[in-house]
Amino acid sequence: MSILNVVNINKTYENFKLRDVSFKLEKGYIMGFIGENGAGKTTTLKAILNMIHIESGKIEVFDMDMRSGEQQIKENIGYMFGGIDFYPRKKIGLITSVIKRFYSNWNEKVYRHYMDKFKLDEGKKLHELSHGMKVKYNLTLALSHDSKFLILDEPTSGLDPAARDDLMEIFQEIIEDGERSILFSTHIVSDLEKCADYITYINNGRIIDCSSREDFTDTYRLVRGSKKQLDSVKGGLISFKEDSFGFTGLIEKENLSSVDGLEIGTAGLEDIMIYYSKRGAK
Amino acid sequence: MRELLYKEFKMAIHPAFYLIFLTALLLLIPNWVFTIAMSYLLWVVVPNLFAAIAANNDTFFSVLMPVKKSDVVTAKILTVVVLEILNVIIAIPFAVANSMLYRGGMGMLEPNPAFFGIVLIVYTLYNIVFIPGFYKTGYKMAAPILMAIIISLLFAMFIQVLPFISPQFNTLFNLRTQESLMWQIGMLIAGIVVFVLGNILTIKLSVKRFEKLDL
Repeated sequence: MSILNVVNINKTYENFKLRDVSFKLEKGYIMGFIGENGAGKTTTLKAILNMIHIESGKIEVFDMDMRSGEQQIKENIGYMFGGIDFYPRKKIGLITSVIKRFYSNWNEKVYRHYMDKFKLDEGKKLHELSHGMKVKYNLTLALSHDSKFLILDEPTSGLDPAARDDLMEIFQEIIEDGERSILFSTHIVSDLEKCADYITYINNGRIIDCSSREDFTDTYRLVRGSKKQLDSVKGGLISFKEDSFGFTGLIEKENLSSVDGLEIGTAGLEDIMIYYSKRGAK
Repeated sequence: MRELLYKEFKMAIHPAFYLIFLTALLLLIPNWVFTIAMSYLLWVVVPNLFAAIAANNDTFFSVLMPVKKSDVVTAKILTVVVLEILNVIIAIPFAVANSMLYRGGMGMLEPNPAFFGIVLIVYTLYNIVFIPGFYKTGYKMAAPILMAIIISLLFAMFIQVLPFISPQFNTLFNLRTQESLMWQIGMLIAGIVVFVLGNILTIKLSVKRFEKLDL
């Protein structure tokens, strides 16, 4: 069953445009949604949650149209928007007592289990929690109403490496039974290397690629050469950086035949993001 | 809808705001401008309730719950309506006490049934100007609140001075005769009808504007 199916969505803002954004997430996997700041990650997630009006395209969650089945779909979705606190001055016990009424399938036992596991204190106010604890509280809420699909916007930004690693492990545990899926946006690529099964990369409002992590990085190569060689290969490169020895550039693997005599190496997620963002809007 | 209202009263309204109902005590002042006494709710609590939407990311929070988007707005308006009705109900015993304590007839609006009808119209005017104005953006409130306060206040003051200008209105509004009482009850019923219809319209307009917003 497909958990999420985004088909050709478009949305125009004054200074920004989402263009034909499409991608798909199957049940039981973690998808990392990457892109630079301002690339359109949050806008896409908001579109998925029907919080903004798309001009065209279609969004299906659990094989249901988001617009017509919104209420039913949201019963089974967990979410977190990084940097947006709801009722920061209220105690989390109170927030829970309000939230649980909205979900017909709320499970108090599961809630208590995760509150204990994550050492969350109901007497604390939301703003007193560290960012990592806030993420854990949101995960607790999501799991307590048995969310099958978790949408997390930048859950790891602002976390120290140990907390990030901890969170990635929790993500893995959540999807272990094959019933749940996670879509999380980030610009920290090391998170993805640890746990993402699939990667969707958005650049300037356009999806560059959506594939398994291995396929994604395997699509590209880094090439190095002298300044003399640069002129002849420039056209085939996604973008390049010059230094005193020559240049380094990113190229799609299938275009490698057009560049003879260059040093070829594998490209990491970070390289891909950097070179695409260097390319700018094309 | 029930869950959203629970959220409003449990989380969105600060408990200290319920102290506003103490303004009903002002109805014990002899011959005062009682429409003012009933308006503090509109000047203090309601603006704060809407200012808190941005501070707490309340709209975002609510639309992420499994509810109809339009219910988020309806619940917020119903909250205001409930507070207004409570404000009126709590004021009634003080209004009765006022009539028992003082003779009245000084030209000021007497706190009788007609007065409460007028108060309900003041509330309706305020709601219909402020709330749909607020939901044009979902966060900008200075202009709509100012407009709502001015319009509702002008109307209240106009009614307040009517008995001074016209002896006929004074008879209708303020006299404690059987005839005047019938008219005053009629005024109350008219106020209730305006309040119900006006708030239905407020909800319709606000929902329509809210549905157009990108959050």
